[in-house]
Amino acid sequence: MNLASLLSKDRVNLSLKPGKKDDIIKDLVYIIKKGNDAELIVSTLLKREELGSTGIGKGIAIPHCRSLAVEKLEIAVGRTGKPVNFNSIDKKPVSLVFLIIAPPQDPGNQYLITLGKIVQIAKEITKKNLIQKAETPEEFITLINDIEKNLTKRK
Amino acid sequence: MPDVIEMHLKLLFDLDNLISDMEEPSYKKIGFQIEEEASLVLIRKRNDLLKKLPQEIAQAYEILKKRYRQAIAPVDSEFCLGCFQKLPTQLSARSQEIVTCPNCGRILYWRKKE
Repeated sequence: MNLASLLSKDRVNLSLKPGKKDDIIKDLVYIIKKGNDAELIVSTLLKREELGSTGIGKGIAIPHCRSLAVEKLEIAVGRTGKPVNFNSIDKKPVSLVFLIIAPPQDPGNQYLITLGKIVQIAKEITKKNLIQKAETPEEFITLINDIEKNLTKRK
Repeated sequence: MPDVIEMHLKLLFDLDNLISDMEEPSYKKIGFQIEEEASLVLIRKRNDLLKKLPQEIAQAYEILKKRYRQAIAPVDSEFCLGCFQKLPTQLSARSQEIVTCPNCGRILYWRKKE
C-alpha cells in the first residue's frame, strides 16, 4: 500500500500549535476522530508513550497504536514551527509527527508494514534535511510520494 | 451498555493489543525504544483497569479473551463482527445491560455514527 495514498491534505497540518507532547498527540488524534473515540485513542497512545517515546530522533516522532476506535488504517501528520520536547531517543525536540492508528485486526498486517515504511521515510527526511521543506499539505504529500518511490527503486 | 463500561472495555482491549504488539518480533524489528519491563508495566495497567469493571464483566472478558483473543466485537448492520452471524432484531444499541452475541458470546458494542 502506497503511503501517500493514505494521506489526504486535511490529514496534514503544517502549522500545528506548539505545546506539550500530550497536546500534540491530542491535536493530531482530533484530526482523525472526535468524542469518545478520540479519547480512547489518546489514552492508548499515551500508554504506549509511557513504555518508551516514539520520538525516533532528529526531530521526528511516530506515535502509533491499534484501537477499536478505527475501522481502517488512519494517518495524520503534524509539523510545529517551534520544536516540542518528546523525550526522544536522542533527547532532541520534535517538529514533525506522524500519527498512525490501526484497527485491531488488519488484513495482511498493513499496520506494521506501514509503520516500518514510515520509519524509513522519516529517516530519509532527516538525512536530506527535508523537515521544513514542504510549504503546503499538497507539497508534503508529493514529497512523501517522491521519497517512497525512490526507496522502492533502491530495493 | 453504560458508556463508562464500554469505554473501559475498549481501553482494556486496546491495551491487550498493545501488549501483544510489543511481543511481536516484526514490531521489535522496527526499532522503537522500549523501556525494560515494558510488558510487565502494561500488564499491571491492564489488570488495574480490569479491576474497575464489574466482576462478572471482568470475568467474562477474561474467558472470552482466552477463547477468541478478541473478547468484544462491534455490531454492524445487525451482524456481530466477531463471528459474522446475524443478530436477533430485539438486541438494542440503547440497552443499558451488557449485550453478548447469542452465537459466539462476545460482548457487543454498537459503533456510534459520526
